[in-house]
Amino acid sequence: MRRTLPTALVAVLGLVLLLDFVVINPTLATLSDVLLELVVLLAAAAAVAGGIALVVHHVAELAQRRTDPLGSLVLLAGFAVILVAGLYPGSAGTSDPVVRWLVAGILGPLVASLFAMLVVFLLRATGRGLQLRPRQAGLMVAAAFVVIVLLLPLGGQLGSWLASAAGFAMAVPIAGVFRGLLIGVAVVTAVQAARILVAVDGGDD
Amino acid sequence: MDVGRLAGDVIAFIGSQIGASSLRLGPLPTLALLAVLLILLSLVARPSTRWMVRDLGRLAAVGRIMAVAAEAGGEAAFSLGTAGVARAASAHERLQTLAALPILAHAARAAARAGVPLRVTSNDIVAVQLAEAALVEAHRATDTEERRYRSHATYEGEGRPASAGLAMAEPSTPAAAFADGGLAEESLLLLDGVAGGAVWTSFGTASASQISSAQLIGEGTLIGPELYQAPSDLRGGSHLRTGVLAANRLLAIAAAVIVLGSLLTLAGFDLAAALAGR
Repeated sequence: MRRTLPTALVAVLGLVLLLDFVVINPTLATLSDVLLELVVLLAAAAAVAGGIALVVHHVAELAQRRTDPLGSLVLLAGFAVILVAGLYPGSAGTSDPVVRWLVAGILGPLVASLFAMLVVFLLRATGRGLQLRPRQAGLMVAAAFVVIVLLLPLGGQLGSWLASAAGFAMAVPIAGVFRGLLIGVAVVTAVQAARILVAVDGGDD
Repeated sequence: MDVGRLAGDVIAFIGSQIGASSLRLGPLPTLALLAVLLILLSLVARPSTRWMVRDLGRLAAVGRIMAVAAEAGGEAAFSLGTAGVARAASAHERLQTLAALPILAHAARAAARAGVPLRVTSNDIVAVQLAEAALVEAHRATDTEERRYRSHATYEGEGRPASAGLAMAEPSTPAAAFADGGLAEESLLLLDGVAGGAVWTSFGTASASQISSAQLIGEGTLIGPELYQAPSDLRGGSHLRTGVLAANRLLAIAAAVIVLGSLLTLAGFDLAAALAGR
């Protein structure tokens, strides 16, 4: 019963949505619209529940002084500041100037500085990759080097030759690999969707 | 109650619904769609890998590495990527989170058996709930419910940078680290943070642009379609794997015989007569 009810629900709802995709029927369309609205509501409720769970988790961390009390304190303070800025009487919500300033002045630069570390981490990952599997990582580094050379901002005859070679590399071999990968992923995605629909996946080892 | 009238009404309702319907794609495309579904369902009926048995993502070593982690008193970390299930990401990305759940279940069972705490992280609350269910199920299946609360699934908050930042800020070093699911530009930061000096790592993603990150950092990798194939391989026990290998050899021998026979026939040798002793 514990597994049968969710399985039956998934199968029935999935088939209703699939049927609506194939058949034009007003009753079916209404039913699938209601189901999709329920999914949106569920996602919204999940977001609120997520926020509450996050606060509860970090309050408990703080109360028991477990791994990182300072981190929990910063998180809770940030949470409170954003909530107050978005919910104080007369606030315009997410479009309030205070919220906009907090996002543009604090959150934006924080995210930008995080992503700025990508170059450093890419070099570190390359070193780790060369240690783990030298042949494949070496090939990857060589390919990256070729692409960098092709994209060098050079002028003259050499520059135009490099630009046309870069265009060819992007349009033919790289696009071919990506296309092949995406087709493979699309096929197994469809299989995975069917397996979820008929509830094949599950722990059984 | 007039059962006959009820049945008549039901039939009339179904008839009226069919009468009010039309095929959105026309008869031939609809038939083609149904044929594709039938093929998919036939694949579903035989989920075990047919043509080859590989150790995708080095997942066959999970049991051994958990035993090593238990001896060392370490823990294991599992990230479900950054796409989640109910987040504003593409369906292709979010389905990767669902594909990662059987892998999480496999790791959770191995961790439960070995008594290793498993720390699961996600930036989507629905994915966290699914992970919690996987942890509960793993401890129930292995009769280790007394250890259940040593493992936990944690919601990291909204946004991809939150996942990457928290993974990088995690102070503890896991013995085994997994990251499977949809990834985006932050993949290098997230994977590096999850790995965090772990003895053993297994990373998987079907996000085409982030595959190189998993290949550079992870020891075991599930690349592209492999992320979806791995759960099928995990399902089979060793006897099933042996069966598949034996069947593969028989198929290879049969194919070789067919090719050889065709070549002999093309060369003018009457193979059928020779075999029949004529």
